[in-house]
Amino acid sequence: MFTMFLTFIKIGLFSFGGGYAILAMIQQEVVARHGWLTAAEFADIVAISQMTPGPIAINAATFVGFQRYGILGSILCTFGVILPSLILMAIITVSYIKLSSQAWFKDIFKNLRLLSLGLIGAAMIMIGKDAFPDFFSVVIFLLAFLILWRWKVNPIYLLLGTAAVGMVLG
Amino acid sequence: MLWQIFITFLRVGAFTIGGGYAMLPLIRREVCEKHKWMDEMAFMDGLAAAQSSPGPIAINLSIYVGYHLRKGKGMAAAVLGTVLPSLISIIIIASLFSRYADSTLARKAFRALKPAVVALIALPLIEMAKKIGIKLNNFWVPLTALILVGILGLSPAHLILLTILVTIWLSDRNSRKV
Repeated sequence: MFTMFLTFIKIGLFSFGGGYAILAMIQQEVVARHGWLTAAEFADIVAISQMTPGPIAINAATFVGFQRYGILGSILCTFGVILPSLILMAIITVSYIKLSSQAWFKDIFKNLRLLSLGLIGAAMIMIGKDAFPDFFSVVIFLLAFLILWRWKVNPIYLLLGTAAVGMVLG
Repeated sequence: MLWQIFITFLRVGAFTIGGGYAMLPLIRREVCEKHKWMDEMAFMDGLAAAQSSPGPIAINLSIYVGYHLRKGKGMAAAVLGTVLPSLISIIIIASLFSRYADSTLARKAFRALKPAVVALIALPLIEMAKKIGIKLNNFWVPLTALILVGILGLSPAHLILLTILVTIWLSDRNSRKV
């Protein structure tokens, strides 16, 4: 169980770019390297993780941990994935608060903001890559965009509604 | 206050399906618009910081917001709020369904959900671009990043490091000139 904990710390530490990058890394470690799960089991876990509330990486880590060692395993894997975040992000936040009056630090964030915009766009492309296999999905995209933009509907309702529509019509 | 931080992140974590990037606009709505805990610029800096650190984006952002509001305790409250819904719902799902659970229903729902998540990310992207002040002379930065990472599959870590180094180098050169 300790090996698994360490593995998830490693996953948390070396995955940049959020959910999908982390999933790829979990697959490499859990399926390819350690053989804790088969590729088919992992594919199921990914499908369920995407449809469960919360960050996909956290869901997948919890699921993998549970499959192997029950509730304790799920807590350990989740904690392992976020441990590097807790340390590094706390350092970044503290230095942000301390250094935000410095000109060079402001410059860095001015440019990182621009970069961040592009990275969110990149995440959108990665999610969108296989999001539009048919006409149905294009209609959903346009409707969702219109609903969010014109009526400023709470996105939570939109997501829950879309998932329900998918289950019925999909 | 701590309780409110916890509840806010718990609510976002519990009701957002579609992953971390779908959670970002919701966190922004709660933190900037509803509770007015932070202005837009500080939030966007947090977003940039969250992407610069390894790990799940939503977790990183929770840490940033939580720490800003109430230091270590705020950070713990925010992270716990974000993680708890995942932990509980996955444990319930995993124990109800067997190892060979049929995930077709989840797949069907997600197929419809994906385009909606794309729309959910696209809209704030346009608003954020306006707030940051995207003009013709700096538009190439996000566009290049988008192409390199989104299409060519480069790791964001390299770009972030490069941006930081180039910025330091440029500001060092400028300060010497003056």
